[in-house]
Amino acid sequence: MTWLPYAVAAWLFAIGLYGLASSRNLIHLVGCLSVCQSATYVLLLGLGYRYGSIAPIFYDHPPGTPAVDPVMQALVLTDIVVGATLSALLLVLTVQAYKRSGTLDPEHLKPMSRGGDKAAPATSAKHPAR
Amino acid sequence: MSPRLRLAVLGVALLALVPGAAATIAHLPDFGATIAAYGERINAIAPGERHVANMVSAINFDLRGLDTLGEEFMLLAAITGTVVLLRGRRGETLTDRAMRLPGRAILPRSEAVQLTCRLAGPLLMMFGLYVVLHATVTPGGGFQGGVILASGTLLAYLGEGYGGWRDMVRSHWLDAMEGGGAVLFTVCGLAPMLTGAAFMQNVLPLGTFRDVFSGGLMLVENAGVALAVCGGFTQLFLEFLEETREADGPEEPGEDSA
Repeated sequence: MTWLPYAVAAWLFAIGLYGLASSRNLIHLVGCLSVCQSATYVLLLGLGYRYGSIAPIFYDHPPGTPAVDPVMQALVLTDIVVGATLSALLLVLTVQAYKRSGTLDPEHLKPMSRGGDKAAPATSAKHPAR
Repeated sequence: MSPRLRLAVLGVALLALVPGAAATIAHLPDFGATIAAYGERINAIAPGERHVANMVSAINFDLRGLDTLGEEFMLLAAITGTVVLLRGRRGETLTDRAMRLPGRAILPRSEAVQLTCRLAGPLLMMFGLYVVLHATVTPGGGFQGGVILASGTLLAYLGEGYGGWRDMVRSHWLDAMEGGGAVLFTVCGLAPMLTGAAFMQNVLPLGTFRDVFSGGLMLVENAGVALAVCGGFTQLFLEFLEETREADGPEEPGEDSA
């Protein structure tokens, strides 16, 4: 079962992609993207792990103690921070798309037509319910 | 494209990728057996060369500091984009009306919530500062500590209400923290070049191993990251909370025609 963590990463990525493709709600879409992103966390941490090793902090243990790969941990750390701000940016785009077109369904977004889908409720386009 | 067709295309694509993924996974090193040589060398060399105990900080702020600089500006760009997209109709008046549904009664905060937040807020801020300051010694650093500090300001919102929170958190301070942190990091890269050293070379005294003030230039870069992350995340909270309240004035002209 030494391949299990990598298979989990691949499965997470695939399930996230399925969510992205089948999503009917832009907020759900942002969540699916986060699922895809967590696949990279699992993959990186899995690649950097070694049995019997300590965390790469040599405070309690003297330098030279076998430790896990610090590069992967640094990558995951920066990944999480950037991922959080990116989710915020995407949610803001969602807010603006909702204000503009009155719908959260990506199916009904018509990028080239002003005001979104004409079939969407016209009342909520200007003053969306909060 | 209909949803069913799109899912069919995705299914075909995933099926086509399965053999490649299976072959890759089969050829990866066994889980938990070994780690990459680069990480192994860093673990062996960095404590002696840089006098720091936290290898993750050593990588982020020294060995791969250039990557963190790029990431810092990604953070800045994402938060700038958020603010620019949301700021159109923001009021600067400090009313207590965010996170309210119209027509719902505004209940005062209960004393228990206020007391808990007043007790826990300063403690959380202190913990955040601790995590920031001990970046090179124990687990933590500017990224983690900055997020904890930003969460600490949210406790003020929980306890004091929106007006009290906006009274405490000034958005132009947050702008200055966010931009100033990124500038500080850049200056840390450029300043060593004035002495003839390379970009971001650690020219400051390295200090003693396992001491809070170890790592030289890393400490300054860490402070810059903490400022930028704390300011940026608090700015995000502020902008999203601001989005939940009614606009003070009429909507900006041209909002619908742009």
